[in-house]
Amino acid sequence: MLYRVIDAEERDALVSAFMQEYEVVAPVKRGRGYVFDVIESPDEIAYDYSTTTASLKKYLLPPRETLMTFNAVDNCITEHAECIPPRVIFGAHACDINAINRLDQVFRDGRYPDPYYTARREATLVVGMSCMPTDDCFCHLWDADEARFGYDLFLHDIGGRYLVSISSVEAANILEAACNPRVATDEDRSDFRQATRTRQLSFNQNIPDIQDVAMLMDAFHKDEFWDELGGRCLSCSACAAVCPTCFCFDLQDRLSPDGTQGERYRVWDACTSPQFAEVAGGHNFRPDGRERVRHRMYHKLNGFLANYDRMLCVGCGRCVSACKADINPIRVLEFFEEKGSEHDA
Amino acid sequence: MMLREPARVVEVNPLGNMTTPLTGEELMANNPYRPWPARITSITDLTPTEKLFEFRLIDERIREAFRHEPGQFVELSLFGVGEAPISISSSPSKRGFIELCVRRAGRFTEALHAMQCGDIVGIRGPFGRGFPFERMKHHDILLVAGGLGIAPLRSLINNIHDERSEFGKVTIIYGSRSPSEVMFRDQFEMWRHRKDFDLYLTVDHPDDTWDGEVGLVTKPFEHLELDARHTYGAVCGPPVMYRFVIDEMRKKGIEYDHIYCSFERHMKCGMGKCGHCQIGHQYVCIDGPVFNYWEAKNIQGSM
Ligand SMILES: Cc1cc2nc3c(=O)[nH]c(=O)nc-3n(C[C@H](O)[C@H](O)[C@H](O)COP(=O)(O)OP(=O)(O)OC[C@H]3O[C@@H](n4cnc5c(N)ncnc54)[C@H](O)[C@@H]3O)c2cc1C
Ligand code: SF4
Ligand code: SF4
Ligand code: FES
Repeated sequence: MLYRVIDAEERDALVSAFMQEYEVVAPVKRGRGYVFDVIESPDEIAYDYSTTTASLKKYLLPPRETLMTFNAVDNCITEHAECIPPRVIFGAHACDINAINRLDQVFRDGRYPDPYYTARREATLVVGMSCMPTDDCFCHLWDADEARFGYDLFLHDIGGRYLVSISSVEAANILEAACNPRVATDEDRSDFRQATRTRQLSFNQNIPDIQDVAMLMDAFHKDEFWDELGGRCLSCSACAAVCPTCFCFDLQDRLSPDGTQGERYRVWDACTSPQFAEVAGGHNFRPDGRERVRHRMYHKLNGFLANYDRMLCVGCGRCVSACKADINPIRVLEFFEEKGSEHDA
Repeated sequence: MMLREPARVVEVNPLGNMTTPLTGEELMANNPYRPWPARITSITDLTPTEKLFEFRLIDERIREAFRHEPGQFVELSLFGVGEAPISISSSPSKRGFIELCVRRAGRFTEALHAMQCGDIVGIRGPFGRGFPFERMKHHDILLVAGGLGIAPLRSLINNIHDERSEFGKVTIIYGSRSPSEVMFRDQFEMWRHRKDFDLYLTVDHPDDTWDGEVGLVTKPFEHLELDARHTYGAVCGPPVMYRFVIDEMRKKGIEYDHIYCSFERHMKCGMGKCGHCQIGHQYVCIDGPVFNYWEAKNIQGSM
């Protein structure tokens, strides 16, 4: 990877340069929290934001997206073009970039590449930014506290300046034109090492580090813990809505009032919603919260791992704040921690 | 109906690399959500609630490219109503036509049942992993269907019949609730008569005319004799059936990984994305719908 250093004051110039050619999405303050939104000026950016309430996925998987339009009278697909603006996501934290990498695996790299996702992804540049963990962050447990790929630039804060990892030509050219990137000195490198270390030591130590959680979930599949945890689920699906790696969706058709024209669209869906696994005839494979919450945790901490060799959860902590019923992966880790200490006692 | 120019689906501005309208196989590869127009060429009433539909894909290139394995399914599309996953019920050897056996179960299937010959629907697929037809060759076969489970198994049964000499003894056990719900009976009876297959038809509720067995699909196992070490089992039916039938097959000594089951789950995309069909870490739409019992045992929540 190529590294250069820029001064902290240069970042606005970098954002402005991107704004010349792209729509720029960045973290901004809204009320008491932060959200990703399209910005009009670099001043709006909250560079030291903690975690945004909702994730970035809406820019790659819109909450509602038309897939095709049709003529319902003769059952034909009609002309339809989706215009995707070239976009820069500025200021994504490592966990969110790792989340995009997981979406890429499902929607772009698999056996059936999704043309809608892929088109958006290809029109998107990602500029990452280093961060410090909040009390709810546990990305380090899943090796998601560092983005190894999936970005065009990554800005590591090393105190008054940034060490910039440069990954794409497109972004390198803009960096070059907007700033004065210089070669890193020994001091820069040493400060980088220090910054990384400080971050690694700042994670909430009360969140148990259970590396074999996937295996434990198999072993404790029938434990009554899941009754307790899932029993309190309100089926609001807030967890899935804010999660950067929840990608389930529904496909639906909608007709014009006269019934002649229509569109097929997809909308976000969630495995925590009661009808998600219901089939014709009314049989529901996951009829209550216990099965649904267990399934969600399973996919996050076990199932995806089996298929892709990495956790689907990136430990961003969003569901920790979003869930009114206190259901989140940390509770699962704590349960296994308790099981371990029962034994010690 | 004339086949329109394939629609332009995604356009990226201004990179330009996706603006060209995608056509033919390229589009098939590039937009797996796009249903292809197919004409209904025949409709047969099977029972009061089930019909057999025969479709022909209109675009010749797509029709030629369409090949399936027994056990695979398509996403059938009625614009304005939606899509539903339906097992292909015809043999892969029946090229150019696709048969689907559909039960009237709700909004989508009602709308389909109301359609006429000549009407146009959309089809995308085939999707999923079917039965291991090649591996099953040179073995005895025991097929157990319950109700609508006969739909996917019929593709396998017909395919076996096409290549009958490649297989040993073939036994079909097919259970229905009542005699009026037995599908494809004439065809099966004919094959039984010709000694192509051993056939056991069972019903829960017989009427005066019924001369087959009465009871659950597991009943014929009582007097079934098979060479378990050289037998493949295949099961498809309502969710409650699997456990019992598989238990019987295991009791007879059929190996775990020689028992194949086709699963039904809620499905939307058919290609491992929407998440609806997931059981444990598996996606029924791409990892299945056909799993062997050993695989199924290793998926949390499969049965
Ligand atoms: C792999 C596979 C093979 C199938 N093969 C056949 C077959 O050969 N013949 C047949 O008659 N039926 C088959 N089914 C079941 C068929 O897909 C459902 O009966 C159909 O989706 C019901 O839709 P509906 O609108 O008529 O029913 P409703 O009960 O009104 O369904 C409401 C909605 O729920 C969803 N839904 C309900 N059940 C399912 C389901 N199983 N899968 C996906 N979505 C569902 C759909 O979005 C549907 O629009 C198969 C299902 C699967 C998964
Ligand atoms: S787990 Fe929490 S956020 Fe998710 S659906 Fe249940 S109550 Fe809502
Ligand atoms: S499950 Fe929760 S912590 Fe994990 S990635 Fe999703 S929102 Fe973040
Ligand atoms: S049907 Fe969408 S993932 Fe299987």
